Amino acid sequence: MKQENILEVKNLKVKFPVAGGILLRKVAEVKAVDGVSLELRRGETLGLVGESGCGKSTIGKAVINILKFSSPDVDISGEVWLKTEEGEVNLLSLSRNEMRKYRGQIQMIFQDPYSSLNSRMTVGQIIEEPLLYHTKMNKDERNERVAWLLEKVGLQAEQSKRYPHEFSGGQRQRIGIARALSTNPKIIIADEPVSALDVSIQAQVINLMQELQKEFDLSIVFIAHDLSVVEHISSRIAVMYLGNIAESGPGSDIYHKPIHPYSKALLSAVPLPNPKLKNKERIILTGDVPTPMNKPSGCGFRTRCPIAKPECADSVPVLELKLPDHYAACPYVSGN
Amino acid sequence: MSDKSKEEKVSTTLFQKRWKKFKSLKRGYYSFIIVVIFYIFSFLLPFFVGRDALIVKYEGEYYFPVFKFYLAETFRQKEVQGEANYRMLKEQFKQQDNDNWVLMPVYPYGPNENLLDELTEIPPTHPNNVHFFGTDDRGRDVLARLLYGFNIGISFSLIVTILSYTIGVSIGSMLGFFGGKVDIFGQRLIEIWSTLPFLYVMIILSSILNPNFLLLTFVLTLFGWMGMTYYVRGEFYREKARDYVSAAVSMGAGNSKIIFKHILPNALTPVITFLPFAIVANIFSLVALDYLGFGLPPPTPSWGQLMSQGMQNIEKWWLIGTPLIAMFLTLLSITFIGEAIREAFDPKVYSRLR
Repeated sequence: MKQENILEVKNLKVKFPVAGGILLRKVAEVKAVDGVSLELRRGETLGLVGESGCGKSTIGKAVINILKFSSPDVDISGEVWLKTEEGEVNLLSLSRNEMRKYRGQIQMIFQDPYSSLNSRMTVGQIIEEPLLYHTKMNKDERNERVAWLLEKVGLQAEQSKRYPHEFSGGQRQRIGIARALSTNPKIIIADEPVSALDVSIQAQVINLMQELQKEFDLSIVFIAHDLSVVEHISSRIAVMYLGNIAESGPGSDIYHKPIHPYSKALLSAVPLPNPKLKNKERIILTGDVPTPMNKPSGCGFRTRCPIAKPECADSVPVLELKLPDHYAACPYVSGN
Repeated sequence: MSDKSKEEKVSTTLFQKRWKKFKSLKRGYYSFIIVVIFYIFSFLLPFFVGRDALIVKYEGEYYFPVFKFYLAETFRQKEVQGEANYRMLKEQFKQQDNDNWVLMPVYPYGPNENLLDELTEIPPTHPNNVHFFGTDDRGRDVLARLLYGFNIGISFSLIVTILSYTIGVSIGSMLGFFGGKVDIFGQRLIEIWSTLPFLYVMIILSSILNPNFLLLTFVLTLFGWMGMTYYVRGEFYREKARDYVSAAVSMGAGNSKIIFKHILPNALTPVITFLPFAIVANIFSLVALDYLGFGLPPPTPSWGQLMSQGMQNIEKWWLIGTPLIAMFLTLLSITFIGEAIREAFDPKVYSRLR
């Protein structure tokens, strides 16, 4: 059953200028995201995978419109449509002030649980901050909500008076989750929320996110580079390579029978827990990822692709429907 | 178990941790206590060191000259013009041997009081039992001048430091937060401003205007705020790129909330670390200006002015020796404080906690 889209990203392009020379003129640009279209359906988890530097985190930050704050020179184009009760709104067309109205509905969980919490504020102050901006709750109501949220994420209400440095990494990430949930958002962008945690803690945090997703009816964009984590949590997966989407489709489909040559190579690298299962063939790619400052013409993957043809240099491949609800950006492969 | 959970509930802020660490650095901590006690004491100096009596009982009535000015006629003191001389009054009352009495401060000499009538030698006179540090070339008591000079020196440098840091922090955070063109042009303006030679401007200004406390604080502030902008600007650049600021933006915090609630508390480390050293530097510049004669107007008690007298009467060692030792001890203990603060704020110890 196909749910309606709650968030649609259309042809998103993010370019960072590279300044050089004495006058700091723009000498080159990094195409971190190069024409990405995504859709997030209500109640689902969209996993966004790819190796470091492929632009997955940039997409998350562009969607939530905080890229311009930390790097004002960035060049963003495309559209991000958020479905709200009053209709659809293109977040990228809004100024920072206009955007504030919608921030309660779309929140972010950050990768580093150490730097994403202000060490001068108590946990209670951290969690209640979004409530100050988006609700008209008074002090008692806010305290009650903070206590309730802390218990929801598996901490104790009394811990709201403590400071972040008194918590472990996993606990801090729980605080980050509580903060993101405080305004009852519809969408959560989770930017590698578990990659900074121990494996045993990763499982706890991911299970917590799944429970909360059901309870709060969340739609999650889950950004990660760990494929087994993504497969566990995602209903759909999009595989990225060098600022483009190589393949997207239902989670188990992509995990078990990938179509695109890059996804195949990526998935063959996932370690198997059972040493007796050695039937999987390991595909080893040659060369390195090209720098996004100087991308190859046509298909970005052609320099390392085992099935590359001379025509691959001519045009950028578009996502084609290969199987039901399963797209791949390569004209030379098929779903069967 | 209950004991342990109670202990855990006592939560410490980063500041409390640093304060604890500061307290454990004995040299700096004791210097801090001594300087603070001395400074507070220096505000109560009129009760301990001064020419005005604390209490006078005269013909059944009580007078409080420390708080109020009384003419000599009030006590029928015929030899004295203007304000009553309470030391003479005390002697008179003693001789008369009646109900009248005078309670003087412990050290009954004021900083600006001319003692030519009482001195038996030509000033500057040697230290003796009455004037512990001797008198200067106008017959004023050196110890009283040193003590009052301490208060003025520290107050002056505290005011200048706080003012120039306020300006420096505000401008620095503006440059660091807004970045881009604001930053580039702002920094160039600061660089141009820093090239103005402070001493020459001060000499020119004090030859046109009469230097006073206000003018001096104004000029020193005007030339003292630039250094802090560099550090605060750098801190803001660094903190701005960290995730908790991005998180604040994604929550919908406005610029003022981000600056004051999130970044500024995390950007104050260099400000606090440099504060004691800036106070030292400002005490020193006041002494230097006073020494050169461009400082506070006479007869304000000041260390620099004593030193310049000492230079003119080089054989009178107490004129140059006492202010030098006083300055040395003051600057040394404030430097100890600064050293301890710097160590308490050293991020290496707490890098795991950040």
